[in-house]
Amino acid sequence: MRYMEDASDHAIIQRILSGDVEQYACLVDRHYDRCARIAVRMLGNREDAEDAIQDAFVRAFRALDGYEDRERFQAWLTRILVNQCRTVLARTRRRESLFTDHDLRALDRVAAPIELGDSWPDLDGALASLSAEQREAVVLRYADDLTYEEMARITGTGTSALKMRVQRAFARLRILLGEVQHV
Amino acid sequence: MSDVEIERWLSDALRRNVTRDPHATARIMRRVRAEVTSGSTPRTPWRRFDVRHSIIGLALAAGIGSITTVSNLGPRADARGRSTSAVIGDSVASTLRDTLRLVRLLFDDPGARRVAVVGDFNRWDASTTALVRDEGTHRWSATLALRDGVHRYAFVVDGVRTIPLSVEPHQADDGLVYSLLHVAPASN
Repeated sequence: MRYMEDASDHAIIQRILSGDVEQYACLVDRHYDRCARIAVRMLGNREDAEDAIQDAFVRAFRALDGYEDRERFQAWLTRILVNQCRTVLARTRRRESLFTDHDLRALDRVAAPIELGDSWPDLDGALASLSAEQREAVVLRYADDLTYEEMARITGTGTSALKMRVQRAFARLRILLGEVQHV
Repeated sequence: MSDVEIERWLSDALRRNVTRDPHATARIMRRVRAEVTSGSTPRTPWRRFDVRHSIIGLALAAGIGSITTVSNLGPRADARGRSTSAVIGDSVASTLRDTLRLVRLLFDDPGARRVAVVGDFNRWDASTTALVRDEGTHRWSATLALRDGVHRYAFVVDGVRTIPLSVEPHQADDGLVYSLLHVAPASN
């Protein structure tokens, strides 16, 4: 089996659609780390993230014939992954709602203990202090270097709303960082 | 704390890779292969559509002109009624030696948006030989200029490689699925 490590995503997809299934491993290898960065930060734990990534890649494979070149494969895959992460979040919330009467919006803000090793807070702790929507916007913007227009296509949310979420996330982080730096 | 500093911190922290599970790709590929094996994946190259496909005629050599009417030509069938080769029109047979012949392919899938044929005759390039849909019958067709012999081929329906149920599937060492198109030599 000859793998197409150096080929473009487009070329690999054409090959897969011609029946060479094993080439899909090239796409997985190429995009896995980026997906992991997004999923782990969105979901806050590795186990759920692994499930979401696996499901996203399998869903992408199933839908590969519907992928159209006018969109970057990376963006298309990210949209599938984000939807998968949202599904996991919703499932987690439903599970938690069976055991708690807490306001789930408040739960989003129950930050993990913040490590004070230096003047910057632990990333996971900081992200956990944001709402799920703010976290999603911040992760896509900075983990994947997406423009607001790309984020809008991926999330189905308008660019103004996305900018607002990022601004609010910054406001929240500014308070958090202020607290950390004044300890 | 300025927004620029927060932005820089987020960029640095979020772009750091998380530790990769060394078995992740293998696990995903196991699931992908299971999809293929189960045939549950819609419109994949590995699920054979229940569509009719037949070679309905061989016509005149390239460059000579017209295509033999297909209505009085039919696929030559083996003992089990399966198409293995096509019939060539008597009126043109004598002129076909050492030339290309026109082979018309028909494909029925009214729901398809794009259909192409790929094979060793066009380097398996789906952009080369598109089938055209008849708006009346919704039947897709294309005419190929081929030498006699056996050609490997498959259809690509909406970007997905497909082998119709009505033909015998083959699989190459590299996993590609195809069927065989037998183009019989002209009778003298």
